[in-house]
Amino acid sequence: MEAYIKGIGIISPQKTFDTPDFLSDVVETASNSLRCIEPSYKDFLNPTLARRMGRIIKMSIAASSICFKDSGVPMPDAIMTGTALGCLEDTEKFLFSIIDNDEQFLTPTSFVQSTHNTVSGQIALQLKCMNYNFTYVHKGFSFESAVLDGLMTIAEGNGNNVLVGGHDEMTDKYYRVCDRVGYWKQETVSTMELINSKTSGSIAGEGAAFFMLSNHASAENYAKLRSLKFIYKPESQQDVENRIMEMLAEKGLKPEDMDAVVYGINGDLRFDGVYNDLKDGMFKNSTAVYFKHLCGEYQTSGSFALWLASNMLKKQEVPAAVLIGEKKHTSLKNVLIYNGFMGDDQSAFLLSQC
Amino acid sequence: MDELIDKLKGEIIEQLNLEDLKKEDIDNDGPLFGEGLGLDSIDALELIVLLEKNYGIKVANPADGKKIFQSVRTMAQYIQDNKK
Repeated sequence: MEAYIKGIGIISPQKTFDTPDFLSDVVETASNSLRCIEPSYKDFLNPTLARRMGRIIKMSIAASSICFKDSGVPMPDAIMTGTALGCLEDTEKFLFSIIDNDEQFLTPTSFVQSTHNTVSGQIALQLKCMNYNFTYVHKGFSFESAVLDGLMTIAEGNGNNVLVGGHDEMTDKYYRVCDRVGYWKQETVSTMELINSKTSGSIAGEGAAFFMLSNHASAENYAKLRSLKFIYKPESQQDVENRIMEMLAEKGLKPEDMDAVVYGINGDLRFDGVYNDLKDGMFKNSTAVYFKHLCGEYQTSGSFALWLASNMLKKQEVPAAVLIGEKKHTSLKNVLIYNGFMGDDQSAFLLSQC
Repeated sequence: MDELIDKLKGEIIEQLNLEDLKKEDIDNDGPLFGEGLGLDSIDALELIVLLEKNYGIKVANPADGKKIFQSVRTMAQYIQDNKK
């Protein structure tokens, strides 16, 4: 199963839309919770419709619109999204109104907008797209599941251009809940210092990113997505390495063929070992790249990694802000993404230059 | 009545997230649905909840809705006539 990445739209805590810049001007913050830089929604949405939409819905509609424009595909043959938290802000609003109003006076809007599939539904409504529409809610595998569905849809000939996306938002309440279970660092860590952190916890993030997967080869495409593997609760580092070796071997590749590897290093002492071992062992000859200091940790952060790797291949550039150590290659042909959410849900994407 | 209309306009703007509107943009006698404010059926449900939550008034007969929600003034009149 392979597909080309024909277009991308992304709203993130970095300047990733409306600019040709590729992370040369990084937004640094001393906060442990990164929030997206949002566009003017009037450019993407009718204000009458937008008034009922929560932040993540508006961000996702904007990101998908950018993706449609970027890809030149106005109507996808299928829409698949992945989200762990869904439309969290509206869900909170709805649940709190149940409590505050003693289970009475429940208004329809926040309920209607609180379901996880609201985003893919709203994108379809905007387009009047009656094609296959699916939302995956699988914690750290949510986005990856949507991509897998996209690859399968293309492989089975059920679509030529399919929209896949990942979206999750951070709210103050969710931040506090996760803080109590040890997700976040207790000390404040600045953006560029995250990789040097030697404590547990990460920094919180959010984002919405959409990709147009296509079966049409073109030099204009960002990259070729060649393989995707899910590695759930790996037994050991050897298990991880064996699974990656299998993945590469299926495509006739070896670790030394990877010009760059994008790691999901999140500054959490408990989970970064797997990345560091890959970086210093199996992929010691590949350029090492990381990204979670720029977007924060969230369940669908793989979408930010896919945006980064795709752009690296298209632009043949590794921004200094994401580089660990020195560049090992001057050109990029093959890039691997190895990412995970809080240790359990790990995945690998294999991308090649078009 | 004018005081109630003014208060009601603020509540409608808040309940329906009409962020771009100010109280003075809403005509006291202008239609709320269709050509006027352009509200729809989901907004109608929101307004029914608003009446019940803020004024303790239940719209028992849905057929009355068309008359009650014709304009801000008709809403205010309904509240004045039915407030307990």
